[in-house]
Amino acid sequence: MLDPSGPAARDIAFVWWGMLTFFTLVFGVVVALWLAAFRRHEHRERSEGEVRRLSRRWIIGGGLLLPGVTILVLLVFGVPVGQRMLTLPLPGGEDPRVIEVIGHQWWWEVRYPDTGDGEVVTANQLVMPVGEPVDFHVSAGDVIHAFWIPRLGGKIDMLPGRVNRIRLQADQPGVFGGQCAEFCGTQHAHMKLYVEAMPPADFDTWLSARQAPANVGDDEQHQVAREAFAQHCAQCHRVAGVSQATVGPDLSDVGSRPTLGAGVMAMEDGAIARWLAVHQRLKPGNLMPVHDQLDAETLEDLGNWLETLNP
Amino acid sequence: MMRRVLWLETEHPMQLVLGLTIWSLWFVTAYGGLSVVCALAPPAPEQGALTGINLVLGGLTLVTLGFLAWMTQRCMAAARRKRGRLRYMSALAGGLYLFSTVSVAFVGLPLLMLPPCL
Amino acid sequence: MSDTQAPGKHERSESAQLHRELEVVWRNPRGWRALTVVNHSTLGLRFMATGLAFFLIGGVLAMLIRAQLALPSQAFMTPDIYHQITTMHGTVMMFLFAIPVLEGLAIYLIPKMLGTRDLLCPRLTAFGYWCYLFGGIILLSSMALEMAPDSGWFMYTPLSSGEYSPGKGSDFWLLGITFVEISALSAGVELTVSILRTRADGMALHRMPLFAWYILVMALMIVVGFPPLIFGSVLLELERAAGMPFFIVEQGGDPILWQHLFWLFGHPEVYIIFLPAAGIVSTLLPVFARRPIVGYGWAVAAVIITGFISFGLWVHHMFTVGIPHLAQAFFSAASMLVAVPTAIQVFVWLATLWLGRPRMSLPMLWILGFLVIFVCGGLTGVMLALVPFDWQVHDTHFVVAHMHYVLVGGMFFPLMAGFVYWLPLVSGRMPSERLGRLGFWLTFLGFNLTFLIMHWTGLLGMPRRVYTYDSAMGWDIYNLISSVGGFMLSAGIAMVLLDLALHWRFGRPAPPNPWGADTLEWGLSMPPAPYNFASLPTIKSRHPLWDNPALGDEMARGEHALADASHGRREILGGEVLTGRVRERIHIPSNSWWPLFAALVLAVVCISLLVRLYPLALGAFLVAVAMLLRWAWENGGHPIAAPLGDDEPTSPPLHSRTRGGPARFTMGVSLIADGAFFHSLLFGWFYLWSVSPQWQLPEQSPLDPMLLIGAGIAFALGMLWLERRLRRLYAGDETRLALAFYLIAALGGLHVLLLVALLWQADLAPTDNAHDAVLVVSLAYLLVHGLLATLLMALQGRRAALGYVGVRLPMEPGVVALFWRYQLGIYAILAVSLGVLPRVIGGGA
Repeated sequence: MLDPSGPAARDIAFVWWGMLTFFTLVFGVVVALWLAAFRRHEHRERSEGEVRRLSRRWIIGGGLLLPGVTILVLLVFGVPVGQRMLTLPLPGGEDPRVIEVIGHQWWWEVRYPDTGDGEVVTANQLVMPVGEPVDFHVSAGDVIHAFWIPRLGGKIDMLPGRVNRIRLQADQPGVFGGQCAEFCGTQHAHMKLYVEAMPPADFDTWLSARQAPANVGDDEQHQVAREAFAQHCAQCHRVAGVSQATVGPDLSDVGSRPTLGAGVMAMEDGAIARWLAVHQRLKPGNLMPVHDQLDAETLEDLGNWLETLNP
Repeated sequence: MMRRVLWLETEHPMQLVLGLTIWSLWFVTAYGGLSVVCALAPPAPEQGALTGINLVLGGLTLVTLGFLAWMTQRCMAAARRKRGRLRYMSALAGGLYLFSTVSVAFVGLPLLMLPPCL
Repeated sequence: MSDTQAPGKHERSESAQLHRELEVVWRNPRGWRALTVVNHSTLGLRFMATGLAFFLIGGVLAMLIRAQLALPSQAFMTPDIYHQITTMHGTVMMFLFAIPVLEGLAIYLIPKMLGTRDLLCPRLTAFGYWCYLFGGIILLSSMALEMAPDSGWFMYTPLSSGEYSPGKGSDFWLLGITFVEISALSAGVELTVSILRTRADGMALHRMPLFAWYILVMALMIVVGFPPLIFGSVLLELERAAGMPFFIVEQGGDPILWQHLFWLFGHPEVYIIFLPAAGIVSTLLPVFARRPIVGYGWAVAAVIITGFISFGLWVHHMFTVGIPHLAQAFFSAASMLVAVPTAIQVFVWLATLWLGRPRMSLPMLWILGFLVIFVCGGLTGVMLALVPFDWQVHDTHFVVAHMHYVLVGGMFFPLMAGFVYWLPLVSGRMPSERLGRLGFWLTFLGFNLTFLIMHWTGLLGMPRRVYTYDSAMGWDIYNLISSVGGFMLSAGIAMVLLDLALHWRFGRPAPPNPWGADTLEWGLSMPPAPYNFASLPTIKSRHPLWDNPALGDEMARGEHALADASHGRREILGGEVLTGRVRERIHIPSNSWWPLFAALVLAVVCISLLVRLYPLALGAFLVAVAMLLRWAWENGGHPIAAPLGDDEPTSPPLHSRTRGGPARFTMGVSLIADGAFFHSLLFGWFYLWSVSPQWQLPEQSPLDPMLLIGAGIAFALGMLWLERRLRRLYAGDETRLALAFYLIAALGGLHVLLLVALLWQADLAPTDNAHDAVLVVSLAYLLVHGLLATLLMALQGRRAALGYVGVRLPMEPGVVALFWRYQLGIYAILAVSLGVLPRVIGGGA
């Protein structure tokens, strides 16, 4: 949050530093006055009128004017900062790009609607273009989650049955962490989102690669894995061209994702097989059943095949 | 002849809670009215802050402000006239009315700046 | 009784005789019978001791949390255990420590400060204590059974609902907390009425000690603020146990309704905790500044303002749920506004110090600590009120830090100041300066080490309620520092508690009025007698003991009012709300088993609901109601209370011989609480109707209009008759009073029957959709109130027949009439909201 990469986050960080400076000053002065009041001793008797005047000065000055002016300034300057994250119509009149994000226990579903032939669906990774505002339409599949990319801007809750909107923009390409920010159960801590902003051209390439007909391989090498998948995984997971279930994360491009298990481990050779074997140890309580009925070899085959799913 | 209504007297303890109660009612009406309009018939965001709902709520705010300001003035004047406990109660009531007035103005301020339903 | 001669031997023996008489009437029994005690001093101390025990448990939980977070990727606890522990830490500290301890302090101090002998409803004090104790034990037992609630102390639905928390954890929370809240509500009602009606003669509102103002506002806030949470808990428990979908979107409910109800309680609660603590500061500071507080009126205004504004802030906990930005701006502005009354208080205190001759001592040290921490927490609070900033740091450790600054700084530090200050009153001994100072500095430094750095951790993006974090995030060192600080904080608190414990044995005996204070409690013997004052003083200023340092001795010698206990009644004085002028002699009940028994049976209700033995729960509930009615039976003219006699005191008269007295007030304040509950119900109905995404209003209202009108008419007729009969009773006519009351009760019974028919005929499907579920709950609410109104009226008939109610004992039917008016009012409102409006506005989507 203190290393902003978008206009909204930058404004907020600016407001924060401003408030910090001013409030530190206020804090220092108030405490100093109290200590001073302790040190000094009232020697002479004051008349009642004098006491009344003095106390009024303190109370009206410190108790009314100081907070009054402060909050007025804050309200007048602070509230418009939030305007940037509202989904107001753009000045040019065109509609900003929309990305839908849906929170699940404990992973993210990311959808790119209106992308030519059918939408692109992925999970636990969010790729967005640099330099243009993007409207995120967020909701939830089960309990309440919250969508938050600290370096780009504020957060918004993801509610079942409702769609909330927030507008964010990334100014330069890069990788930002996203995180579920509303307590959502056992693995709330491991509900991270890998966010990558790339130049619009790269983004379009990335998107169109995922629109092309899926290449799930028809070679002999992965035949066993595909069968095992159909038997054991397809009830929950979707792989374009193989299965359609939507209970767990969409795996159509899982091989291209940088992390596994919503940020639990980095993707590398053999990572998926390892995840499949010990995922309940890596992410205790996650909703995928253990695969004790599958031997290590099958898991390895499955992992190898899934890693090839990289458009 | 008009009968004196006891709880309208400036030193009645009712006055200690009436001002802030009016603030609360105004607040609930503004928030509730806004929520209901936004849930049922939200105005287009292009209109900015100049929508019907802003105007209606703004009008309500002005009326509330007027009443509270009048009561503030009444209580303050009474506090200058009276002595002892009556003076204390009137002054306290006046202060509370004043705060309620300022609160309505302050909390109502965003009505001028923000579009209603985003 | 009062004698102007110099105190002679004769007079001394006379005063000894008075104390002996009072002792007989007010004595606390020992042994098993100590469970029957209703005395406010004893119960206040029990509240505080129990609260401290829960505090220690909550503190251990906090240390477990800090141990888990000290290092990244720790496997000290499993996530499930961690979530149980965080949930319980919040719950225990808020519901079982902060509020009850402050209630206990108020229960202990308020009668002493107001110059009276006990609170107005002593059995209610005892009942509240037992509910608190049993509720707390039930809640904590869930931890021993390893099935503690784990959805966070705010219990957001749907995470806490049946589908996503199938275990018993949420049930423990909902039932246990509701049970504990009965205690808060009873304390709230009782403190309100006691402060308004039992002050010493001449203690007009503007002469009341500031502490009483703070407690008055706190008590009223409890009365209005707790019912929404109780209502929410009832709905959620109904959803979990009976499947009524109040918070399930697909069936027309809305999870956000829970958040509204929770924070409608939750935010005022912060001020319910802060106000009494600030009251402690406002009481102690003038004593140590050696001058009256400057700007008494300003402080009173600030307290009242805080009480109101704090109800307009709840949505600032919900800035990220996606409500319109303009609505957020309203709440943002209101949240900032609350800084104004707080700043007024800070500067009132400052001005008092500035114009006084302050001296340093242990309580003052805690107050300075309070100031530093609380001002800091208040300033971050103003930051958080700014919506865009809140969007960024909401639910991060920044908020955790802010909240602890406000709560620990705003409540724990003043509480410690208060403990040290009032300790001599309770024990007759002074606390140790040296150990106390050491404890203070450890606590203060440990606290800041823990939580100051935590702001930064939050700004770096660490969210709340994560059981672990990755080293790559760069939060390691800050978390380690927080954990070290946390353990230092506990060492400091341990030292403070050690001081408190040791002083009981080693403290040096306290001189009378050791701090040179101005309020009445310091005129008492140390420790005070169960009856506090042998005679009740007349008050002419805000500082009775500064005006007349000998007042304590005078009262002990019986030179003031009510210095007589030969009649065997526990008597206190009732006064006018505004001026404090004496109106009546209130006789209050003595020790009783009923509070304990009733609370025990309610505990059985609670446990049988937990294990889903519904017939047992229903049976136990009926027994509890019967016990409460039996308890109420021993009132007024009943032989155990104050039977009619020939030598009745007349000026002032006994309160049961007047037309309402404090009993009307108690009923009125209870009805305010009930009304807050009713408003939550109404809010729920209209909220779901207008906002819930999949709410379905049926084409045709299922409520039969004839039955709806019929039930209303039956009750209205009963009401009219009751009012007429009351006027005749007041005019001195008691012929066939019992018969009239029975017939009025019969009209109430007809009302109830028609309501049952209405519910029957509507043929609702409450487990199917939220609309029918709300209808069932509303009708059940009316039904329960209708039944109670009928029952109370019938009992009045019986009492009239027995001669406990009549021309000379006119108090009770007027109180019951208030309840009837309430029922008629809510019936009309609900009939319009549920029956008429849907017809007018129309069904469909």
